[in-house]
Amino acid sequence: MRFTCFLCFALFTATIFAQTNSLNGTTFDANNVPLGGVNVIVSGQNNGAISDFDGNFTLNGVSIGDVLEFSYIGFDTRQITISNFNDLTIVMQENAESLDEVVVVGYGTQTKKELTGAVSVVSSATIDELKPTQIEQALQGQVSGVQITNQSGAPGSASNIRIRGISTNGDNRPLILVDGNVIEDLSVVNPSDVASITVLKDATAGIYGVRAANGVILITTKTGRKNSEVKFDFGTYFGYQQTTRKLPALSATDYALLVNESFAANGEALPFPNVAGLGAGTDWQDEVFENAPISNTTLTVTGGGEKSSTSFGVAYLTQDGIVGGKRANFDRFNARLNYNLDVLENLKINSSVLFSGTTRKALSENALGSVLFNALNMAPTFSVRDENNRFTLAEGLGNEVINPVHQIKNTFNENRVRKLSGAFGATYNFLKYFEAQGRIQANYAEVRGYSFNPIAFYGSGKVFNNDREVKTEYSHLFRDYTFDAFIKYKRTFNEAHNLDVTLGTSVFQTTGRFTSFTAFDISRDTRVADAPEVINNFQNGGNIFDSRLLSYFARAQYNYKEKYLFSAVVRRDGSTKFGPENKFGIFPSGSVGWVLSEESFLNDNSTIDFLKLRGSYGILGNDRIPDYRFVSLLNGEGVYVINDELVFGIATGAISNPEIQWEEQKSLNVGVDARLFNNRVTLAADYFNRTTTNLLVAPEVSGILGPTAPGSSAPIVNAGDVRNQGFEFQIGYFGDISKDVKFNINYNVTTLDNEVLKVNNGTGIIQGGSFGVGQDPPSRMETGFPIGYFYGYTTDGIFQTQEEVDAHPSQLALGANAQPGDIRFADVNGDGVINPDDRSYIGDPIPDITMGLNLSLDIKNFDFQMYIFSSIGNEIVRNYERNQARTNRTTYYLDRWTGAGTSTEFPRATTGATSNAVFSDFYVEDGSFVRAQNMQLGYTFSQKLLNSEQIDSFRIYASVSNVFTLTKYRGYDPAASSGAPIGGGIDFGFYPTPRTYLLGLNLKF
Amino acid sequence: MKSNRALGFFVLGMVLFTVISCSDDFVEVDSNDPNSEAFFNTEQDYQDALIGAYDMLQSTYINVMLGEIASNNTLAGGESATDVIGIQQIDDMIHTPVNQQLRDIWGWMYAGVNRANFILEFQDNLEFEGKAAVLAQARFLRAYYYFELVKWFGDVPLVVDKRFVFGDQFEVDRTPKAAVYAQIEEDLIFAAANLPYVQAETGRITKGAAQALLGKAYLFQNKFSEAASVLENLIQNGPHALLTDYTNMFENDNENTVESVFEVQYTDLEGAGFGCLQCSEGNVAVGFNGIRNYTGPTFESGFSFNVPTQEIFNLFEAADVRRAVAILDIDAWAAETGATFSVGFEHTGFYNRKYISRQGDLNTGDANLTNPNNYRSIRYADVLLMAAEALNRGNIDDNRARGYLNQVRERAGLDATDLGGSALTDAIFLDRRLELVGEGHHFFDLVRTGRAGSDIDGFVPGKHEVFPIPSIEIELAGNRWQQNPGY
Repeated sequence: MRFTCFLCFALFTATIFAQTNSLNGTTFDANNVPLGGVNVIVSGQNNGAISDFDGNFTLNGVSIGDVLEFSYIGFDTRQITISNFNDLTIVMQENAESLDEVVVVGYGTQTKKELTGAVSVVSSATIDELKPTQIEQALQGQVSGVQITNQSGAPGSASNIRIRGISTNGDNRPLILVDGNVIEDLSVVNPSDVASITVLKDATAGIYGVRAANGVILITTKTGRKNSEVKFDFGTYFGYQQTTRKLPALSATDYALLVNESFAANGEALPFPNVAGLGAGTDWQDEVFENAPISNTTLTVTGGGEKSSTSFGVAYLTQDGIVGGKRANFDRFNARLNYNLDVLENLKINSSVLFSGTTRKALSENALGSVLFNALNMAPTFSVRDENNRFTLAEGLGNEVINPVHQIKNTFNENRVRKLSGAFGATYNFLKYFEAQGRIQANYAEVRGYSFNPIAFYGSGKVFNNDREVKTEYSHLFRDYTFDAFIKYKRTFNEAHNLDVTLGTSVFQTTGRFTSFTAFDISRDTRVADAPEVINNFQNGGNIFDSRLLSYFARAQYNYKEKYLFSAVVRRDGSTKFGPENKFGIFPSGSVGWVLSEESFLNDNSTIDFLKLRGSYGILGNDRIPDYRFVSLLNGEGVYVINDELVFGIATGAISNPEIQWEEQKSLNVGVDARLFNNRVTLAADYFNRTTTNLLVAPEVSGILGPTAPGSSAPIVNAGDVRNQGFEFQIGYFGDISKDVKFNINYNVTTLDNEVLKVNNGTGIIQGGSFGVGQDPPSRMETGFPIGYFYGYTTDGIFQTQEEVDAHPSQLALGANAQPGDIRFADVNGDGVINPDDRSYIGDPIPDITMGLNLSLDIKNFDFQMYIFSSIGNEIVRNYERNQARTNRTTYYLDRWTGAGTSTEFPRATTGATSNAVFSDFYVEDGSFVRAQNMQLGYTFSQKLLNSEQIDSFRIYASVSNVFTLTKYRGYDPAASSGAPIGGGIDFGFYPTPRTYLLGLNLKF
Repeated sequence: MKSNRALGFFVLGMVLFTVISCSDDFVEVDSNDPNSEAFFNTEQDYQDALIGAYDMLQSTYINVMLGEIASNNTLAGGESATDVIGIQQIDDMIHTPVNQQLRDIWGWMYAGVNRANFILEFQDNLEFEGKAAVLAQARFLRAYYYFELVKWFGDVPLVVDKRFVFGDQFEVDRTPKAAVYAQIEEDLIFAAANLPYVQAETGRITKGAAQALLGKAYLFQNKFSEAASVLENLIQNGPHALLTDYTNMFENDNENTVESVFEVQYTDLEGAGFGCLQCSEGNVAVGFNGIRNYTGPTFESGFSFNVPTQEIFNLFEAADVRRAVAILDIDAWAAETGATFSVGFEHTGFYNRKYISRQGDLNTGDANLTNPNNYRSIRYADVLLMAAEALNRGNIDDNRARGYLNQVRERAGLDATDLGGSALTDAIFLDRRLELVGEGHHFFDLVRTGRAGSDIDGFVPGKHEVFPIPSIEIELAGNRWQQNPGY
């Protein structure tokens, strides 16, 4: 009771000493709409007010010369000195780039000015302009240090988000929190619900301890405002998508000539004795690519009473695929409700509920025998259907190449996700300086779906031929909750010492169950459960998981007059992923900042408005490994045939390692922020160095332990160090040529140097990825090289003559002796022998430099935006060629070697045995590119034109995304990657990101 | 207002409560799956673990395939010179310590050893009726896997009645071959003593299987009298006999016959994929050996590996019924039936007919990997020929040796032989090759009898008798093991 009395006393004394002058005023937003809920504080006094529903406020006891401070989240803070007692009209500007902009950091907020970490923010304005179908696309090219690559351009497919490089060869995904709630799958988030995205890139993410090593992305959804009218925001767009690129595959005539030549070279009969009349043949890419529609509609309603605010949104997106059309459809429905209530002046509760439902159908992609792989390799001499109107069989093209149109027609699957997320929090302020917060966030998701494989015959010997109908149905449940509780103490001493201390705990538990059954010989419409015989796909267990985290954290932030900034964090995490010895880890981090522009020597500088130096260092953790790997479980596969029937026994699962412990990342960041020329120029530069040690990996392990048994796998061990270092630089310029012409330019660049420092698994090498058929893994992790670099032979031109061949060491160890016209491999180690020891570094998929350039221009009611990003120095492996005697090829084969002096780059065509298909730099291409990601032209109708009291704003726009890409890469999409740390950057015919044309409108009323 | 204030206190209280109350045992959770350290509590547990140990038998398809390809019976074949490079190199005797298929054998056989040892590690946990038979099967399996390991690699790390666990790989050394054989013999003697000749369930290991494998292990060590003794014991007391008709011996409806002493069981009831060939319940070798892009009667498509040479085709006498069963002349077959096929790498015109894909199975996907053809690991004909060899080479009794050989020859439609001495030895060798062609024995028969150097192109005596231990396996064990000589 004592502190309540104290509060009363404080209020009472404030009243006693008040003077009698009062002041009235109204607050508006930039559109002259009254803005309620604005905080008005008399600077340095315990006096203040909040504007009401109509924006009105009254201050008592003010005197001339008092400074009033108007603040509201999302708006620039304004200061006004009272010169008279006339009514005030205050227009608040929405802040995008203000120093007082509040940035969400872990378990709290800070102003940009106070930040000591490397933190980037993407605002809702940017998201509105980019119109991403998936929220993570809004980060592409926007934020330095963040690299987004698409796993595929198929609707609903995921992106890889990498913050400051690849730090582990396990899971590199950052921690993503939506309003504090862990959301791993961003495809369920409606981008138009998002108010801001904050990316924590350095050790200041340490407040999230063990989950912070890959960086943290905090997504805040839109909330309503107190004291505001009910407002509607309606948006819709529709458009269509098309492929950005078709590869120049050979026409039927060129193809037939090439095939003839290769058969002749091996002394075989010509398969196409009569080439005349073949013409262009079938363009298989035309057969599989189509223009696909996309549409999206959103409605947001916001409003607020005196003590509450509400925001409600619904959205529906549907998108067909440019390959497969409806068979690659993705649709998404979202509904969201946020409700905040001030129960008491010092007790506030907030709540939100999100529902999302997505349905996705998918085709085989980026694999041997995927649709685009087949479209590129299918012979153009074949028609889609034969004379009996049956799909043409892809005879003679190797076992993996089949008719892609037939393949699409036989693809049946659907994956439905229903997810309900809820968050509830309460904040209680007490004892003046204290605040207690408790919040619980929970997710419940059901993932259901099926796949059906009909009986199919694609040609003799095809691996996709199917004699039995197979249907698999699955239903997975995922549940998790996070409970956070923390107490803050925030106080300013002597108007100079600002202290903010947070102490808290966080509990996380995720549980779930996988269920999947398969049945044979049933129709597509039959439920698997109704089949006579059903196979349980989780026969060996492993279908229930329960993993938990228990964390305590403490943070102290101190600054002296917002000039010298200090912050320190320590977090202790306990995880179920580790054995009793290593369950708990402690992760400290600290950061400092120095706002030079507050110093007297810069105080009056007319050029420099703001200048801050900052640095951070800390240890972050990573526990992203599968559960229970410290104990030997019997969830392997032990199945044998007794009495001609399957008998299910037990066997050891993954090899256990009781000693596994946290992966640790030492993260250093040094940066500078500046604003120049009346805040027109904003600058930020950072150097970062992240060294991950005790890498949690599952490298190959001695076979005597049995890791290659069915259902088993290698143990997780702490075996390796990786360093990512680089520079980030961001510059922005805001200009207004006249009142009607404004523009904005933002440019960012990130350099990245990735180097593996140690691999201590015994061999010093971890391999991965695949190339061709049956070849050694092409990607490696090895000391001194970038993680996942390409390891293969170096080529040295083409043998022109037999003398050259004879003078060169034998290439037999690579598969066949060379002949003129074959690739000449370099004797890299100079031992006079060409053998596997001559393989070496021939590229890596990690870009050296990534850049983003964003332009916006407003001329009167027109607005124009353009977003460009670029990636330089990443290599891609061309692996969409099947290299069979009769598979099709792209036109560069027209430049093949056909006799001495004809080519020094492209080998001869032959059906005979050669080593030309062995993984070498012939298959590694420069994947650098520049992509115009989005161009948009909008027109906002003026109030005059609208002539309506009801409509606040009305804008129409046209936009094109993925406008063009400049690249030397021969494949579909240089921006695509599987995202695998070892084995990424290998192109089996990526589903390219489509070019999308949209028309849309936004209506606010 | 009072209730609101109470709510405030409630929030505060909840926050404090959580901070204080959540203790560290929140993160101690047991898995839902059984822990291997606390498993053997019922008889069923032993039976389940035994099935797990049996499972690795199915992965020996690669041993069988490569044992044939390494010999002079067949060529690697496949799609091209680089199709499964490890197989191609073994065929050409240019294999190196970098060879994925050798590594598969190494890893899969040790997985089998560990699964068998898992049962034996905990053999004293529980007493129940029939436990001796369970342990006998486990010990047979351990012997079977170790026999493969010594055949392929010579000296190999030996572990008895315990699993290798993480960390052991940096401590354990290669055990001399003789000691491994001693353990194999001990295990098989125990198995033979504790198993019946006839099991109620087909597929189970029998006393006969243990005796036959023991005889074979003796023969591989040139212990002729021990070999002869145990093999003749089996011949006299066991239930086995030659099938009168050789022609359909390898068809699907002729599995687990009276001639089958030990048979690895396969089925088409479960699907499989290339990502985990050892997980297949089918005989992967059959699809690999199958006719490339085949369309026609009787057979199905495959990958054209393991193709017989003209030499082995020519070696059969005209009257020998076994040639048409063992070797498919694809051109003749195509001419006769109108079947079509395409020509793979090293096409000889012949296919390993005993183990190529046939029609009539379920073709569960991937159909190439789920062929149900059981592998006739030890046939009675093999037992007879081994007994004959032991008796002859051990100078024990050429008469009995000739008798056993002639049983096999007569069944093949050939005249009985009346040879003796070294001529009889050669006749046994020849008939052994013809009788068992395509079944994965020939390379090791050549090696153990010292004939590989003269018969196999590229074979270097003193080197190629054993295969190299995959160099990565040496590295992963801490770089302490000596590589086999010559590699």
